[in-house]
Amino acid sequence: MKKETKASSPLRGDKRGAPVIIEVRGLHKTYTETEVEVKAINGIDLSFEEGEFTAIVGPSGCGKTTFLNMIGGLDVPTSGKVFINGTDISTFSSSKMIDFRLNNIGFVFQAYNLIPVLTAKENAEFIMQLQGRPKAERDKRIAELFEAIGIAGKENIKPSRLSGGQQQRVAVARALASKPKFILADEPTANLDSKATAELLDIMHELNRQEKVTFIFSTHDKRVIERAERIITLEDGKVVSDIIVNI
Amino acid sequence: MIIFRIAWRNIWRHKVRSSIVMFAVTVGLFGGLASTAIMKGMVMDMVKNNIENEVSDIQIHNPKYPANNEIRYVIQNSSQVMDSIKKVDGVKAVCERTKIQGMASTASKATGVIVIGVEPELEKKVTGIYRCLTDSAGTYFASKHRNRMLISEKLAKELKVKIRSKVVITFQDFDGNLTGASFKVEGIFKTQNDLFDKQNVFVRKSDLDRILDMPPNSAHEIAILLNSNDETYTVLPVIKKMFPQYLIEGWFDINPYLEMSTSMTKYMLLIFMSIIMLALGFVIVNTMLMVVLERTRELGMVMAIGMNKKKVFKMIFYETSILGSVGALLGIVVSALFAWYFGNNGLDITSFSKGFETFGYSTVIHPILETSDYIEVIVMVFFTGLIASIFPTIRALKMKPEEAIRE
Ligand SMILES: Nc1ncnc2c1ncn2[C@@H]1O[C@H](COP(=O)(O)OP(=O)(O)O)[C@@H](O)[C@H]1O
Ligand SMILES: [Mg+2]
Repeated sequence: MKKETKASSPLRGDKRGAPVIIEVRGLHKTYTETEVEVKAINGIDLSFEEGEFTAIVGPSGCGKTTFLNMIGGLDVPTSGKVFINGTDISTFSSSKMIDFRLNNIGFVFQAYNLIPVLTAKENAEFIMQLQGRPKAERDKRIAELFEAIGIAGKENIKPSRLSGGQQQRVAVARALASKPKFILADEPTANLDSKATAELLDIMHELNRQEKVTFIFSTHDKRVIERAERIITLEDGKVVSDIIVNI
Repeated sequence: MIIFRIAWRNIWRHKVRSSIVMFAVTVGLFGGLASTAIMKGMVMDMVKNNIENEVSDIQIHNPKYPANNEIRYVIQNSSQVMDSIKKVDGVKAVCERTKIQGMASTASKATGVIVIGVEPELEKKVTGIYRCLTDSAGTYFASKHRNRMLISEKLAKELKVKIRSKVVITFQDFDGNLTGASFKVEGIFKTQNDLFDKQNVFVRKSDLDRILDMPPNSAHEIAILLNSNDETYTVLPVIKKMFPQYLIEGWFDINPYLEMSTSMTKYMLLIFMSIIMLALGFVIVNTMLMVVLERTRELGMVMAIGMNKKKVFKMIFYETSILGSVGALLGIVVSALFAWYFGNNGLDITSFSKGFETFGYSTVIHPILETSDYIEVIVMVFFTGLIASIFPTIRALKMKPEEAIRE
């Protein structure tokens, strides 16, 4: 039986009481370069706790990507603050922000996730490479992840010869490899068929449980929304509902 | 290492384009190095010939002689002077000459010449004119008869004389009286310097001294050949100290053009290569800008996931460097082969070299490339790569990753 409650703590069962890792206060983002001013984010206050498996949903243009970019430090808010582990990241210089992203946040994008000249394994270990992790550690971790996401044996294949679902799984493996604080996935299943979508969600959810890594993903796909443990709905840059899904 | 791997593989994403850029670098470098090698070969050959056939390493004159070549300004006790010079370290051979201006005339024509009276056996050790005889019937003062002369091919044509023809040479003797004598052409020579050939005729010093009534044991010019041209800089001051009363000059004083030419060769490569590198730099920058534009999303993505500015620069620098250095390596190898082969066998440019000899250049060129030339080129390629990376990197870093990855 499925029951929905208004969010107080977004976590349930054994996850309850985990520390807050992302806190957003009075967030606004207004694009002024365009002819008409666009208020992509129009006053959002939210917090996310460690171990969440959360979907940001809403129609196209409601501000999902913009919101994820703000909390991922890819873009700076017009006003408001983003705290990650208590640190206000809007004060970071762009160089410091890059390093912060490298060491704290995993990203999965809708498309163009992988470097075409690198093999699946090289792509997956790319972040660990940038971090300067030793080869033995990388090999062990990638082998473990490829096993977990069901693409063992595809290590030496270039992205162009992998299916869309396999490519996204490599992207998830890369995001996860260095054990970031949280993973942001912007419509990771938008280009996938329903079977691949279900598989990717299974994998993400499994990893969320096993590795206790926080996943925040945007989507407007019903099948994906159904899998989330917390559903935040945006409309015109505002949160219109924030619910925790209890089973 | 991963960055280099990406750069390397990126190069081969556009095989044709990258190959064209590399080939352009190869051709550019070969062009620069080969023309430098040819110029250097020509100049050094000209300098060497000039020193060997004309000026020698060091010359001694009476200080008043060079102004007007007046017959009375001689070096006295010339044989003693020669004897003491022979003992100086680095000196290979010494000879003395009587040298005056005169008029050479035949039935058809008369022309002003410099008459050089030489002591054939000593002269042979210092200058190489005896090796430059063209007419196979000619000899270098082998005849036991008096009043023999050597004349250049050029002058022989002008005066319409052959071997065994007679030429009358007139000049003022030591006392200022007009005098002259008839000389029989014994040999015809040809150096690489037409101007030298046109001006000078050779006779025996003993004949000339007798006709001129020169004081015994005197000469106008003493020429010194050293073990190597470079030693001139060290030997010259020694000899200057020995004979402060005379004018003592190195080859670079006597013919400043030679020294200028030698030092010019040092800048030749720099000048040639700078121009070529500038052009190649543009080609590379242009290609890399194209690359950055093509990979906007990819670059945006790697920057989004945490690749910092330094590594973005590195990636672009590696890519430009590979483009540059693969081509450069080929260019250097081809140039080295070129310099090696033609350095040994000579590059004959007779067919399109009319007029070269007028300036003392040989028509068979031995291209020269030195280690320093290669080093210079490698350094230039490196810095071109570095500079050519800056602009595309700036372009890449201007991108906002969030915009680059937005669908
Ligand atoms: N760089 C930009 N310049 C101007 N407007 C933008 C820009 N990026 C997004 N927007 C606008 O902001 C709004 C929210 O966009 P986005 O966050 O991409 O929505 P979603 O991801 O939910 O589809 C849209 O109206 C979009 O047109
Ligand atoms: Mg979006």
